[in-house]
Amino acid sequence: MIQRIVSRKFDIPDAHRIDVALLHGGYATLSKAFAMEPDAITTEIERSGLRGKGGGGAPTGKKWRLMPKTISPSYLVVNADESEPGTFKDRQILQYDPHLLIEGIIVSAYAMGADHAYVYIRGEYKAFHDRLVEAVEEAYERGYLGENIRNSGFNLSLSVHRGAGAYICGEKSALLESLEGKRGHPRLKPAKPECEWYFGHPATVNNVETIATVPFIVQEGFEAYRAYGTDQSPGTMLFAMSGHISRPGVYELPFGLRMMEVIDELGGGVKNGKKLKAVIPGGASTPVLTAEEAEKATLDYETLSAMGSGLGTGGMIIMDEESCMVKALHNLLSFYRHESCGQCTPCREGTGWVDTLIRHILAGRGDETHIQTLLDVSKTMNGQTICVFAPAVSGVINAFVKKFRPEFEHYFQRSEG
Amino acid sequence: MNNVTITVNAQTLSAPEGSILLQVLLDNGVSVPHFCYHEALGVDGNCRMCMVEIEGQKRPQIACNTRVKEGMSIRTLSDSIMAVKRSILELELINHPVDCPICDQAGECSLQNYYMEVGLYESRIDRADKVRKAKKVDLGSHVILDQERCVLCARCTRFTENIIGTGDLVIANRGNHACVTTFEPQGLKADGYAMNVVDLCPVGALTSGDFRFHQRVWFLKSDPSLCHGCARGCSIFIDHYPQKYGDDLIYRYRPRVEREVNGFFICDEGRLSYKNHTGDATLTTPRYSGTAITLSEALELYHQKLAASGSGVVALASPSLSCENLTALRDYCLQYAIPLFGVERGSFDETFGDDFLRLNDRAANRSALPLLGISEDESEMNAALCAASLVLNFDNQTPVSVDQIHFCVHPIDTRELQIPIAPYTEQSGSIINAFGKVQKFASTIRRRHPVPPLHELLSTIKGLA
Ligand SMILES: Cc1cc2nc3c(=O)[nH]c(=O)nc-3n(C[C@H](O)[C@H](O)[C@H](O)COP(=O)(O)O)c2cc1C
Ligand code: SF4
Ligand code: SF4
Ligand code: SF4
Ligand code: FES
Repeated sequence: MIQRIVSRKFDIPDAHRIDVALLHGGYATLSKAFAMEPDAITTEIERSGLRGKGGGGAPTGKKWRLMPKTISPSYLVVNADESEPGTFKDRQILQYDPHLLIEGIIVSAYAMGADHAYVYIRGEYKAFHDRLVEAVEEAYERGYLGENIRNSGFNLSLSVHRGAGAYICGEKSALLESLEGKRGHPRLKPAKPECEWYFGHPATVNNVETIATVPFIVQEGFEAYRAYGTDQSPGTMLFAMSGHISRPGVYELPFGLRMMEVIDELGGGVKNGKKLKAVIPGGASTPVLTAEEAEKATLDYETLSAMGSGLGTGGMIIMDEESCMVKALHNLLSFYRHESCGQCTPCREGTGWVDTLIRHILAGRGDETHIQTLLDVSKTMNGQTICVFAPAVSGVINAFVKKFRPEFEHYFQRSEG
Repeated sequence: MNNVTITVNAQTLSAPEGSILLQVLLDNGVSVPHFCYHEALGVDGNCRMCMVEIEGQKRPQIACNTRVKEGMSIRTLSDSIMAVKRSILELELINHPVDCPICDQAGECSLQNYYMEVGLYESRIDRADKVRKAKKVDLGSHVILDQERCVLCARCTRFTENIIGTGDLVIANRGNHACVTTFEPQGLKADGYAMNVVDLCPVGALTSGDFRFHQRVWFLKSDPSLCHGCARGCSIFIDHYPQKYGDDLIYRYRPRVEREVNGFFICDEGRLSYKNHTGDATLTTPRYSGTAITLSEALELYHQKLAASGSGVVALASPSLSCENLTALRDYCLQYAIPLFGVERGSFDETFGDDFLRLNDRAANRSALPLLGISEDESEMNAALCAASLVLNFDNQTPVSVDQIHFCVHPIDTRELQIPIAPYTEQSGSIINAFGKVQKFASTIRRRHPVPPLHELLSTIKGLA
């Protein structure tokens, strides 16, 4: 099941050192890339069907085409904010193969004509930050970054920027605001698709894993990538498993595998031989699946969205039969309450209120009206905000309440008894 | 921009293509609840209150972030859009203290109005669950913040950041703990324009330390006028309370929109200058040798002194007097051959002007002087003053060492004769600002015992000299 495209060097000791990385094919794509027209690289990426791995799954090549070539300087910004509960894949790349990310950044920046690259890294990832910075310094020393990279005539500078601990700064426009030195508030979306803007200059924001996939596609060709996965979800992804699972971890897999096969065979099944109750399929923001749904699920964009959930970041949270779904929802909602940036009224006030409602239910003070209010607030939070944070929370609430309603009602009975 | 036709609730409107839908609706008198959008501050899209239904769009859209297109069809009153507005308003209110009875904004509060318009439901949150925040924060510059009442529309922060550029106000913290604050205690200065945030704040979160709790707004009458604080002549509203058994008192000045002059704002100093024109700040009875006298006694003295001085009389006019007063004064001086000067020492303040509204020239009507042929020659004035035996001073602040008769708005600490003239708030007239714009103002304040404006006074004493 396991494939090794971005995880190829993960098991090689010290692959984060440039000498080791170079021994194992690190930066090998550069000579091929620099021999190509930048646009031809973008075309290759388009054909590969590569989809963004930060949660949204947007086609990467199409996004690169939005960069106007006439305004300079322009920027590639790599999103390493990875703060969502259940998602812990990008850190593997930062930890085990930071040079693959740098290689991807060089090739991608060359393709889109970016003059400067940033990596915006989650503040709490101090150790991974330090490792990446070390790798960047090595890359500068060896001439992989800076002026006239490997005599290609292409210049690229790369800066690493640490966030200050806000989940919302993973949202691309909030990230850019934060990078500009402002509060991490998502920006209003434009009426028509366009690139992002950094200090008024064109910018593209891509996830770490997305960029780390680019060298393989350029090196091996788009068909090699399409050899994995499904038609609509080509290639592979770093799938993570956490929660009540025997072997938690991160596994690179082609899209389209049966979810249960992955849980049982790679993950070793539910921990302590218990029965499965539910799976959150792609990071905390994707609606929860029941065990029956998990049986039918395959790990690709199309199947999971048809099931009313999403592939998200591929971070599966496995919950056994003894999990309390009310407490699980409370856990998530207290996270969202804490992390809402607070701009939009429905999100700022809604995330607080739903958390309060759940606390009442848990304390045995709840009744039907609490559930109704929960669903009403959830409805108001859906589709009326600046970014998709609030709609995601709404989806989370709806799935928990609709699929596990008796568990919520159980708490009312407790107070009566 | 091309004009296009749109339909709003079955009514047809014409509007420039690409203009902001919310602004078009508001300009056409269509009521759309909104907090964060403000014409001067632009679109921010955070309050989500301005939802409208646009034909062809699945979901309701915020009107502030929608651009007008030909043939657009908009509904603002359908059941579904009212339900959306109600649900967002409910969220806006769950952590709001709703302490309107003790809130200074009551009566001019957007939240209160919208609640009356679309809300009016039972609250579904326990009072104990509301998020508590600071009720009284002195932000500085007479601006007081109640964090609990704040709807976090960011108008105030956008004002200091984008209009003034000082960024004194910021929003700190996230989620429903977010609150407006300053970097340092009382750190709001905004280069002398801070109090505009009180007008911008749609709710009772920001109130004026100068105004709050002095008067309920529904007792106040608002009349348009012009600030006389400098040569810009900003448009203002004078909010005053015509008491039944007392003088009409001014409680505050507020900016009035005048795109060519001051836009949406005024400076704090101008705003607070109402204090110089209300209650007992002005002179209301003539005074001589430190005691009050009647007007006829005063005029009697005036004529005696004038006769005693013969040809040694010089007149000084304040360059802030209205065109009407200056004209009457010029004619009076011409008739009686009294040399008249419009120079006022100290009326240029190099520390006052800035690159926004305030101008160094603190006189409201200097531009009228050359048009009326009133001399601005300072050396001629100095020479005339040296030779003078009596100076008729018409509210001019120039220090003079000769014996004077004062026609003045404010009491002066002198034993010389002072005859009151009405301040601009108590008479109508016109002034010409530094950019040559002629602006009219009306009389707003009525005293029980009115003080005559200068031109009226001059007409009564004309023939007697
Ligand atoms: C609340 C929120 C948090 C997000 N956090 C992350 C994150 O930590 N890392 C990430 O790559 N994308 C995150 N995203 C998605 C980004 O906005 C953006 O779509 C992504 O970085 C684009 O890269 P991709 O196209 O390569 O996936 C987040 C989105 C939202 C709404
Ligand atoms: S939806 Fe929530 S997180 Fe997103 S911009 Fe609005 S308040 Fe901020
Ligand atoms: S204090 Fe007033 S203007 Fe400022 S954010 Fe709050 S409600 Fe808006
Ligand atoms: S700028 Fe001048 S005219 Fe305007 S409010 Fe201030 S003092 Fe008055
Ligand atoms: S006025 Fe449109 S969202 Fe606030």
